[in-house]
Amino acid sequence: MNFKRTLMAGLMALSITAPLTSGLVCAATNTLVVADRASFKDWDPASAFSEEVRVLGNIYETLLVYNAPGSAEEFSPGLATSWESSDSGKTWTFKLRHGVKFHDGSAFDAAAVKKSIDYVKALKQGAAYVWKALDSVEVVADDTVVLKFQNPTPANLIAAGQYAAYIIAPAAVDKGHDWMMAPNAIGTGPYKLGQVEQGQQVVLERFDGYWGGWKEGQFDRVIVKVVSEASTRTQMIKNGEAGVAWDIPLDQLKVLGENPAIKVSTAPSWKNFQFLINTQKYPTDNVAFRQALQYLWDYEGVTDDILHGYGSVPKGPLPSSIWGHASVPMASYDLEKARQLLEASGVPKQDWKVSMQYISGVYANAAELFQATASQVGVEVELRPGEWGVIWDKAKKLDTAPNLQSMAWWPTYPTPSDWLFSEFHTEKPTLFNLSHYSNPGFDQLIEEAVALEGSDRAQSTKKYQQAQELLAKDAPAIWYADVQQIRVSRKDIKGMEKSLNPAYEAILYYNLNR
Amino acid sequence: MAKYIAQRLIVMFFILLGVLTITFVLSRALPGSPVEMMLGNHPTAEQIAVEREKLGLDKPLPIQYFNYIGDLLQGDFGNSLRTGRPVMEEVVRRVGATFELTLLAMFWVVVLGVPIGVISAARQNSVVDNVARAGSIAGTAFPVFILAMGLQLLFYGKLNWLPLQGRIDASILLDSPFERVTGFYLIDTLLAGNFVALWSAIKHLTLPVLTLVIVTLATVTRITRNMMVEVLSEEYIRTAISYGVPKWRIHYAYALKATMIPLLTVVGLTFGYLLGGAVVVEFVFDWPGLGGFVVFSIAQNDFPAVMGATLVLATTYLSINLIVDLLYHLVDPRLRVQ
Repeated sequence: MNFKRTLMAGLMALSITAPLTSGLVCAATNTLVVADRASFKDWDPASAFSEEVRVLGNIYETLLVYNAPGSAEEFSPGLATSWESSDSGKTWTFKLRHGVKFHDGSAFDAAAVKKSIDYVKALKQGAAYVWKALDSVEVVADDTVVLKFQNPTPANLIAAGQYAAYIIAPAAVDKGHDWMMAPNAIGTGPYKLGQVEQGQQVVLERFDGYWGGWKEGQFDRVIVKVVSEASTRTQMIKNGEAGVAWDIPLDQLKVLGENPAIKVSTAPSWKNFQFLINTQKYPTDNVAFRQALQYLWDYEGVTDDILHGYGSVPKGPLPSSIWGHASVPMASYDLEKARQLLEASGVPKQDWKVSMQYISGVYANAAELFQATASQVGVEVELRPGEWGVIWDKAKKLDTAPNLQSMAWWPTYPTPSDWLFSEFHTEKPTLFNLSHYSNPGFDQLIEEAVALEGSDRAQSTKKYQQAQELLAKDAPAIWYADVQQIRVSRKDIKGMEKSLNPAYEAILYYNLNR
Repeated sequence: MAKYIAQRLIVMFFILLGVLTITFVLSRALPGSPVEMMLGNHPTAEQIAVEREKLGLDKPLPIQYFNYIGDLLQGDFGNSLRTGRPVMEEVVRRVGATFELTLLAMFWVVVLGVPIGVISAARQNSVVDNVARAGSIAGTAFPVFILAMGLQLLFYGKLNWLPLQGRIDASILLDSPFERVTGFYLIDTLLAGNFVALWSAIKHLTLPVLTLVIVTLATVTRITRNMMVEVLSEEYIRTAISYGVPKWRIHYAYALKATMIPLLTVVGLTFGYLLGGAVVVEFVFDWPGLGGFVVFSIAQNDFPAVMGATLVLATTYLSINLIVDLLYHLVDPRLRVQ
């Protein structure tokens, strides 16, 4: 009986004290809770090439920062305060910021930059290929580093990228890839990597020695909770348990936006949705037939009803807000025009059949809508949904490839070449050119444009634009939506607009305050 | 008895080998390679080739199979392609979470299900019986994820009594952490004398356990009821009643004992179902167990992870079967003679 009484007393005490204790915990530190879908696996910035940048972007920094389109300057100083190129873009000199410390207290200097970039290049993982033309990194002074390339290279764009461009502390590089994957991290960013419970939560702790300093209201601690289910993330932001929520389904955004306690911030992103049209498979090997398919697409229907307004009809093969974009004549939803093109194509009516591969979500809904509109002019669409790994594998081989393949694209660093080279330059064996498109004239334009990126931006832009005009005529894809970058936060959290930048996926928690 | 157990263990070994072989062949037979999925947004052809070679995926299937079994016999389950960490480490870390959830659900299913079944049988067509039967059918018919989300909406969204997701409050892991000894938070927090953490663990367990209990309670209740109805009509029960033996004694000491064999079978099967059903529940509640791990691993063709998790789940299931069979011998002396 005594034991029973003690147990009851203990539980009662517990139920009374537990809420008090957690209240005290929250009051002691200004903590931001983030509900994120992604479960982060790659903790080495040299190899991380996916959603990990959402966290790594707060721990590590780059030499330069790419400003959101529309800003007065293209770049802002990051760990480098000034930079210049010479030798037609083959040599780049970066002057480094003084007074910067890594999280372990060591000094940030030219030797650290050299060690970090050399490590990323040598590891050859993730997006390390962005440094493929790099010949050497030379330490000229403690605060000056010179990068020498084999070819003219846009080192400013690469150094401002969100992949393979973070500067890692020498101590971390010495300990190596496995140590960082454990996970461990030493960067110069405003937050240090705190406790990590794999699959549950990642904690970021304020770095007191951050060169940018700290102001009242900024968050001392950020707890990123891994929440797989979208409806759970929605409930967490509604109830105020989370201050920021990632990946809220588009159909719930409007309703959330009407909630007076929640703010949905949007801006054009550099991500666009496409259906790549196979240019070597019958009947889509016929250019008029491909153009007809473009006219069968209900662009407004998709952006309004499937993307719920969080996307816009493309004005060209590249998203409108990235440099190098060309507004070229694009197809619109016009069944009559499609019918004329189909008849002009010479493809017999009984062969007006195409197959379509896609993954679930928006792509699936868009494919189903296309099937309905295409049937109105007699084009039969066979739907082949599947997991990305499976459909990608099939699309690479011509014998198993469909006529239309779903694709979403965004750049590794701010360059048009990422779309145009990776998706449409002649490629053998096929990896991402899933249209199996090959046009020597287009290839040449792209190669020239890439070479000019670092030395003559105007000429490079001109060539990219010519290439896009060619591409639009050849119709190797239906470019159907430029999508929005979306941030969902509680209204009492300020500063989210600074994280609306298509060049970066991460929300910089340093910019937020409450 | 020792001989019987030894025989069963040998059979178990071959069943596990069979399960592994089938899983291996199935996972490889599906189109799509895991390598492209694990290398990030836009890998190069060279990176893909290097990784395929590193993982031995460029070798013929039989060689891959024998390499895998060879490594397995040395205790090497390989690394998860998705998380990059050793599969055993990943599985061990999650196994505690899954077992804490399923064992607790199992406990409540038996503790509630058997008495409800007995009462229903003893008072057939009474209000208790009808409510129990209707409740059972409703519980079984409800899709697990809808039920789970409904409970979330009610107990978190409306009432704000219970947490929405996870296994413990984020702040506890940071500010009053406890040593993970068994992987069962209820036990670990008690061992550490950390009652704040224990309370948080109880609150986080409530909704997932409740979901699992609701969907599986019906099976145990209905089997108990049906068996009890049959046994209660036996002559020896009638004799006992005529002798004036108290009702509770007849129900729980005589009749229930006679239903033990089928009941044990059902409890064993229910445990297997709970392990499977926990996949959905773990996903909805972000429970860091094996279920969610398996789902994401299958979606990304993470062969080693799928194999490792399958092996653990299959071993558990077979072990439960063995335990149930051994319990038969305890419950029914006639089996011992055979």
